[in-house]
Amino acid sequence: MKPAPFGYHAPADVAEATALLSELGDDAKVLAGGQSLVPMMALRLARPEQVVDVNRVAGLGGVRRENGTLVVGATTRHVALERDPVVAAAVPLLARAAPYIGHFQIRNRGTLGGSLAHADAAAELPAVARALDAEFELAGPDGTRRVAAAAFFRTLFTTALEPDELLVAVRFPIWRPRSGFAVAEVARRHGDFALAGAVCGVQVDAGRISRVAIGLIGMGSVPLRAEAVERSLTGSEAAALDLDDVGAQAVAGTDPPSDVHAGTHYRAKVGAALVARALSTALKEADHG
Amino acid sequence: MSTDSLGTEPARTARENPVVGANGDQAGPFGGATAARWVGRRMPRREDARLITGRGRYVDDLNPPGTVHVAFVRSTVARGRIVGLDVDAAREMPGVVAVLTAAEVNSPSHQFWQTMTGPQSVGTPGRVLADTDVRYVGEPIALVVAESRYLAEDAAELVDVDIDVEDPVVGFAAALAEGAPRVHPELADNIAEEVPTADIPGFEERFDTAPHVFTETFDQHRYLCVPMETRGVVARWDPWTRRLELTLSGQGVHEPRLFYSRMLGIPEDAIHVTMGDVGGSFGQKMFPMREEHAVVIASRLIGGRPLKWIEDRAENLIGGGHAREERIEIMVATDDRGVLLAGRADHLEDVGAYPYPGNGSAAGSAAGMFPGPYRWAGPGSVKYTGRAVYTNTCGRCAYRGPWMMETTGREQMMDVVARKLGIDPLEMRRRNVISREELPFTSPSTLVYETISPAETLEQAAELIGYGRFRREQEEARAQGRLLGVGLSLYVEPQFGFGNLSTEAATIRVEPSGKVNVSMGTGSHGQSVETTMAQVVADELGVPIDDVRIVQGDSAATPYGPGTGGSRTGAVAGGAAHAAAALMRERVLGIAAHMLEASPSDVEMVDAVVGVRGVPGGPTVTLAEIAGLAYFDTDALPPGSEPGLEVSRRYKAPLFMFSNACHAVTIEIDRETGKVDILRYVVSEDCGNMINPMVVEGQIAGGVVQGIGGVFYEHMIYDSDGNPTTTTFMDYLVPTAAEVPDLEYGHVVTPSTTPGGHKGLGEGGAIASPAALVNAVRDALAPLGATVNGQSLSPDRILEIIEAAESATADETPS
Repeated sequence: MKPAPFGYHAPADVAEATALLSELGDDAKVLAGGQSLVPMMALRLARPEQVVDVNRVAGLGGVRRENGTLVVGATTRHVALERDPVVAAAVPLLARAAPYIGHFQIRNRGTLGGSLAHADAAAELPAVARALDAEFELAGPDGTRRVAAAAFFRTLFTTALEPDELLVAVRFPIWRPRSGFAVAEVARRHGDFALAGAVCGVQVDAGRISRVAIGLIGMGSVPLRAEAVERSLTGSEAAALDLDDVGAQAVAGTDPPSDVHAGTHYRAKVGAALVARALSTALKEADHG
Repeated sequence: MSTDSLGTEPARTARENPVVGANGDQAGPFGGATAARWVGRRMPRREDARLITGRGRYVDDLNPPGTVHVAFVRSTVARGRIVGLDVDAAREMPGVVAVLTAAEVNSPSHQFWQTMTGPQSVGTPGRVLADTDVRYVGEPIALVVAESRYLAEDAAELVDVDIDVEDPVVGFAAALAEGAPRVHPELADNIAEEVPTADIPGFEERFDTAPHVFTETFDQHRYLCVPMETRGVVARWDPWTRRLELTLSGQGVHEPRLFYSRMLGIPEDAIHVTMGDVGGSFGQKMFPMREEHAVVIASRLIGGRPLKWIEDRAENLIGGGHAREERIEIMVATDDRGVLLAGRADHLEDVGAYPYPGNGSAAGSAAGMFPGPYRWAGPGSVKYTGRAVYTNTCGRCAYRGPWMMETTGREQMMDVVARKLGIDPLEMRRRNVISREELPFTSPSTLVYETISPAETLEQAAELIGYGRFRREQEEARAQGRLLGVGLSLYVEPQFGFGNLSTEAATIRVEPSGKVNVSMGTGSHGQSVETTMAQVVADELGVPIDDVRIVQGDSAATPYGPGTGGSRTGAVAGGAAHAAAALMRERVLGIAAHMLEASPSDVEMVDAVVGVRGVPGGPTVTLAEIAGLAYFDTDALPPGSEPGLEVSRRYKAPLFMFSNACHAVTIEIDRETGKVDILRYVVSEDCGNMINPMVVEGQIAGGVVQGIGGVFYEHMIYDSDGNPTTTTFMDYLVPTAAEVPDLEYGHVVTPSTTPGGHKGLGEGGAIASPAALVNAVRDALAPLGATVNGQSLSPDRILEIIEAAESATADETPS
């Protein structure tokens, strides 16, 4: 359980990092918190010839409000999402999802950017980013570009990042106060990847749903968003919802994976129940003004 | 759980757990019989300060100069012929010291037998490295020795192994199939062990004439010991002293020494074995395995340099020894009230390819323990058969209560039968359980119980968990569609005192300063030996506990012991500590009486000061003064008295010793997700006089957590090609503190006949908990008509069970 030999680079700024990535090409892998990459290297399942450690890249961490969004730097640790009052006030769903990520030791090291770039569909942060329609800022040798979450997550563990690009920040839309948010998931043990889960955000005006976001955890090869259900819920009366039915519709058409922990049938069935639970909790929180 | 501060002062428990029965005497200085002052106290463990601050010293902390590191090349195929093995590229890699294969390492002169199983035992064919074929995924084929573990693993990748893959034998059916491929071609079939049917006259008639006969089959899945510290060894052959220096992570030093003496064909005094702190074992490290053998042989071939192998987690999960993959079919006959009239059990074990020790079967022990805490109908009313089969999977190793399938099956059967007869499982047990008034009681398997209390622990557990109140809460919850359940498990735990397990020894030296040095053949891997044995010696001798030091884990400094295991520390090692301390006390008091001009029968020692009994304020002499006389002023000793203060006693234990306990657990199942929430977990136990209740409860807790892991989380899964699929902690799930409730304890104290009245209990937590937990799930799902006879009970599996029950109910409902 020792990694194969690799070269190590610790760039000081984004320009140096992208230049390195450009030079090293497919042989390089970015190291952020290392909570997925390092175990995979120890098992020799990942064998990058070069590792570009971005922990010392200036300006990659931290959160700030900007034009109605919360800008979260890529190397912001999960523990900051969990505890920073700025995050909790601006994007409550991030703060509520963070405690589900691994254990505190993992959250002390793991980063938002690392989790999103790794793009595990069973992880919490990709589902939150997808549900809230976050925008990804990617820096390359020729400057930066912005990619919507829907376009960022391509296929299984694959994103829109080019080999010479670095994820530098993610912009989460700030919903108005009086919105409701909730996370519901089932994992084998506390801190494990979810077998199935849902993240929800909802706004209610005069008893009717005016805005709703439903993200699904672990229900496909990429983080999913129940867009059809969101459309059908918008404008409907919150008190009259059949939540079980909403849950069933949200997972309809998904093809969850099967592994040693749970089968496809389990994930679909429980995913539906968790959508109902998350939405129910979020609706209770939403101020029905 | 109780919380105690560190230090040597007796601490109070946060929650005073109930204790029924006596546990020691009280007395003042020179005021009467020797007082028990340490035994029975919740004394914080002396080991903890260093262990919980990260200052323990484990085998991987050992880095002697010149150390080289070992990595193994292992089979990725479950069964096949090795048609090519090219190690040249690896041997040529810079930093590589040696690459060794079966050609260099295996020798026909190797003997592989353990003292416990004996030279004549029918064992598995022994080999160190795979030679012409491979028999499980993970089987070591070559070992690479290099200047670092990184380089060793790099070089291991350069070894080119070519295997012609053959169909593997995976699972019971494949092993027993007509014309099945043989796991070991040198054997006639895949049967590792057979416990044949005993011919009991009139046995069948018991079933023919009984009012009720029930048959049920229970399955248990493969899970394993998972010590926090994996296996590891540092071995150096010193070519000048012609001695092997061996440090390993084990359960004792003396048996590895004997084993390697036989394996290498060198006398045991040419082997020095040491052991530092050990981060758990649970049976896995009781017997060194092939990897350790290979490192020892390689160290001798290479000579001079220390070889180090630290098993990594993937190696431990794939090849460190597995357990628990068993099936038991039970048939019982009862009367209308649920009284057991006869029982028959047929036990099937999967022992993998290379089990440890011997053939890996525990059916013989299981047969003895199957009748458990129940009367049955006396001798001849219970019959036990068993078969153990080889498969192309990792071999079985000892795991905390290796025979526990008897309890897993029997205790589930009690619940199944109770439900079918419409009797509450608690009541069913009450009608069959042996009470103290019936002792001595000869079990149907002819074991004689003398000091057990199963009826008492059953009642205490039921009371602690509030059984009646829970049944009422459960009824209300069921009316709301919620799934609550309660599970009981009652058992008798054996400690075996035969063969090399029959003795332990203690050598006590009172140093010239009066400090007490106790050398024991134990090998603590979590049993708190340094604390509990010091408690025993301090009391028996009459010295402050801080004056007592326990020495273990060094073959040159301690008397022979078979290794810490089999729940033998309290009764057997404790017996030796009692006996040696009593002999030392006699020696000390003899000298002191001479010094005080009193009769030896009139003096006693308290806090290392000897005075005349019944004479407070009279003349006294300290142990240091006595020791000074014994070593340095020997002409002043009483006539005929031996100089020095050194004694050694070996204690011979009874053939069988027994403790007992009852587990009771309540759970709630989330009907939508299949998740199980353990509400409360209670254990009422009787291990006789407790040396240290905190240690007793710690042993129980560890075992219960392993049961929780086994039933709900841990599962070593093989696919049909014989590939293990749960080979990291991402997939092989061990419970964490978040998955375990606060455990609650009750104690019933029935002293045993061994010195001090102690009994072993180290394995019981792991023996009884699986049945209690499965019974709770069965009880929770009973309203749905669900059948729960197998494990593991993952949320996915529980939803499957619920859905199967619901669809069966739907089918039965007339439209």
